[in-house]
This record gives sequence, structure tokens and C-alpha cells, in this order.
Amino acid sequence: MKNLSDEYVWKALKEGDLNAFSILYKTYYPMLYNYGLKISRKVPLTEDTLQDFFLYVYEHRENLSDLDSIAPYLFSSYRRHLIKTLKKKSKIVSFDEMDVKVIDIQFTPEEILTHQESETFKNKNITVLLNKLPKRQKEAIYLKYYSGLNTNDIASIMEVNYQSAANTIHKAIKNLREEVSILQLINS
Amino acid sequence: MAKKNYNTIEDFLSDESFNNWAKANRLTDVDFWDEWIAYNPNKKDLVYEAKDIILGVQFKLNEPSKEKINSEWALLENKIKANNLEVQKKQSPSYFKLIGIAASILLLISVGLYTFNGNPEKITYKTAYGEVLNLKLMDGSLVTLNANSSIYYYKNDNRKVWLTGEAFFQVDKKTTTNAKFWVVTDDLNVEVYGTSFNVDTKHQKTAVFLEEGSIWLELKNGTTQKMTPGNFISYSSVNNLITEQKEKVDSRFKTSWKDGSIIFEKLPLVEAIQKIQDTYGLTAIFKDETCKTKLITGGIPITNLSICIKAIEKSANVKITKLKNQLIIQKK
Repeated sequence: MKNLSDEYVWKALKEGDLNAFSILYKTYYPMLYNYGLKISRKVPLTEDTLQDFFLYVYEHRENLSDLDSIAPYLFSSYRRHLIKTLKKKSKIVSFDEMDVKVIDIQFTPEEILTHQESETFKNKNITVLLNKLPKRQKEAIYLKYYSGLNTNDIASIMEVNYQSAANTIHKAIKNLREEVSILQLINS
Repeated sequence: MAKKNYNTIEDFLSDESFNNWAKANRLTDVDFWDEWIAYNPNKKDLVYEAKDIILGVQFKLNEPSKEKINSEWALLENKIKANNLEVQKKQSPSYFKLIGIAASILLLISVGLYTFNGNPEKITYKTAYGEVLNLKLMDGSLVTLNANSSIYYYKNDNRKVWLTGEAFFQVDKKTTTNAKFWVVTDDLNVEVYGTSFNVDTKHQKTAVFLEEGSIWLELKNGTTQKMTPGNFISYSSVNNLITEQKEKVDSRFKTSWKDGSIIFEKLPLVEAIQKIQDTYGLTAIFKDETCKTKLITGGIPITNLSICIKAIEKSANVKITKLKNQLIIQKK
């Protein structure tokens, strides 16, 4: 389904409408902030790179291509911008080896709600199991359930087609279900 | 509801009724699927995997506060404005003057739209003919907007929405604040606590169908009316008349459009064609009067006109020709 407001906001931004840009900023700031924090693990750096990134988007608005959906563009461009900055600024080797395309997301127990609607995810080891998933599956889980993005947007961010993004999500859930049932067998 | 085979995970995921079951949303769907699973034990794994995909892992979001976001935005906005001024200074004086005037006009307009701290921004959604839009409002309520319809609300009062056209609402109950949700049309206001219902404002009247929960209608003539599930009321403020009222209507006939089809049961063709005109923005001419009274039964898609025409032709045994924006209906 086409997202009308996204299309409208994007068009207005390209025409230099600061109100439209403010809507865009306030809508996506929380999601990108969390995403940046997951990648860089540093608050000040995340904030600084976000400001630089949004300024860049506004100043280059005339060169932006037309978009149906804004989220994929913002997520991939910001990720690229953040990792570039990390590589430039940081002397830590691990960032040097960072791949712009594949990121390794780590979940912490504090982030998982104690109240889970699904029986499967109520398991107390769920954080460990989540972190054990392959990187791509972790990222898909993050984008879908943490950032609340739809499969179409996830596919664009991960640069794969819709079916492949859907499969990655399904596989991740399947893996988690299997791991949880194995744990239950062992414990019973 | 379930009418097809469910073999792959996608079959389940793409089924709205299944989604309702997974989220324990609608009683009729919950009953249906509980029974379906009991009869199809071999699909149990697949069913629960699909359920987990729908429910997902719930995260506690560590989001920056509104104040934080606003102050970060203020910093960025200042930077942008400062940069703009520099750019303008470099340009020729007459051009600069022109921009100055334009900027002051812009500023006036934006003050009109935006007060300094409350900014009651108006948010509008619109659909074209043959288009259906699923929306999530700021308060979490879900709206499915039918073809050629529009809805708007103000950001600072996001539980009051104005509707023209047709929409189906699933309103989130705010148990802590007991905040009401309002739908405003030309004819009446619907007062809601948490429920699902359909509102249709086409043809100078407002028709409300309640699927679940309870709502109050506040008609433009000042009277109020309570509705219980299954009730259907159609009211027009133009002649201050309740044009139709039914105690118990099968929800499929009033809300199936949001799942992509309109369902007819023994409906005269002329009424069915009216619905198609509304959905696709067409006019219709009956070459043979006798065609008008033919009864049709079945479902037609609302986003694919050619299949829709074929389905009607078959069901009513008539011939329909489309000429630009006109449907010509005649005997076969």
C-alpha cells in the first residue's frame, strides 16, 4: 500500500518546505537514534552524526530522488554516514573492520519486555537466543519488531527483494521457536 | 473468513482473519480459528510459527524524550536558517529582497498553521478512486479508508477525526485515561470508547455500522442514539431523517470492502452498480430497464475494475461495456 503522507512530506521537503522537514525529522529521529545507538553504542556520537546527517539531507534536498517510502532511504543513508564517521574518528580496530552493509546488532535483556504476547518469547533465555541468530536475521528482527518497519521497507534497507526479506524474518522466528522448544525439553 | 487452502506460511500471514486470531482481536475470528486448528492438527506447527511472526518479539523502546527531540530540532533549524542567510547574502540585492518578501509571507503562513508551542498541525489522508488505504493514527487506532475518501485530524487533538467518504475504524481503548474518540461527519458525530465500526458518508447521509463494542451517535438535530453490535443506522441532516435502521446486519455486507471486496446478497443490480460507481468514480447507463432489477449475489474486488466488471456480467448475466468513464449495461 502506498504511503501517501510519506510521498507528500518528501515532495514538500524537496521544495524546501521547512515544516515538512520538521515533520520528517521528528518522525524518524527516535527510530534512527536507536538504530545509530545499536551500531555505534555511543550516545554523543549518535546525536552528532544524526544532526550532520539531517543537515546533509536538507542541504542536498534538490538532488534527492523521488521516493514512495522514506524509511529505507533514511536508514541506509544514515547507516552509511555513521559507519564512515566511525571509521574516520575511531582508533578502535573493531570499527575499522565494520562492513557498511552488514551490521551486527546485539540485544540486551533490558530491552526485551517482560510481558510478551507470544509464549515462545516469554523464555528467559530469549536474549541469548536472539544474539545467537545470524547477523542478517538479527537485523531483520530488529528492523521489523524494534523499528516497526514493514517488510517492503526492510527489503529495501537490506538491499534484497521482498520475498527474501520475508524469508529472513520467517527463518529467524523459526530458529527461535526451535531453540526455545529444545531448551524446554532439556529443562523438563 | 477462511475459504481457501492454507498450505504455506504466507497463506496464513496474508489472511486478515488469521491475523485477528493471532492478536486475539475479534471474537468471531478467534472462535473460527480455534476450531480450524482442532480440525487440522497437522498444520499446528505452521499455525503457531505464523502466529509468532505476527506477534513478534516485543521490545522496550529506549526512545529520546519529546523535549530532547524538540531541542535537537531547534538546533538544526537554526543552523539551516543561518546557512540560508549566508547563501542569500551572496546573491544579487534585488533577488535578496524578493526572497525577503517571500520569506516574510511564508513566515506569516506558517504562523497561521503553527502556533509556537502547540503547533496544531492538520494531518490529512486521501484516497483516489479504486484505492484503499490502511492507516494507523497517532493514538494507535486503525483506520481503513475506502476509495475516494478523506480523513483529517489535528496533531494536538488526535482522537477527533473528520471524515468524508467511507472508513472502517478500530479504535484503541484508552483504559487509563478513558479518553473518547470522535468521528465527525456532516450529519453526525460518533462518540467512541474502544470498538470497531464502519462510517459511510456517501450520498448526503451518514451510515454507521457497529461491529463490536458500543458507540453513541450525536445527530446534527441534537438527539443522541446508542448503538449495539450489529446495528446499522443511516441518517441525513439535509432532511433530518433516519433513512434506514436495522437491528442486526451481517457484518460482511457492511465491512467486507476493507478486505478488498464488496459482498452482495440478492441485491438489485442497480444498487450494486451504484456501489461500483462510488468505488471507481464512474457513471452508468442502463440500456434495458429490466436489467436494473436483476438480483446479484457474490463478491467483487474493489481495486480491480476489469475483474469487477467480469464478475458482475457473469453473476447478473448482462453485458457491460466501458466507454471512458461510463459503464453501459445491457441484456446479453
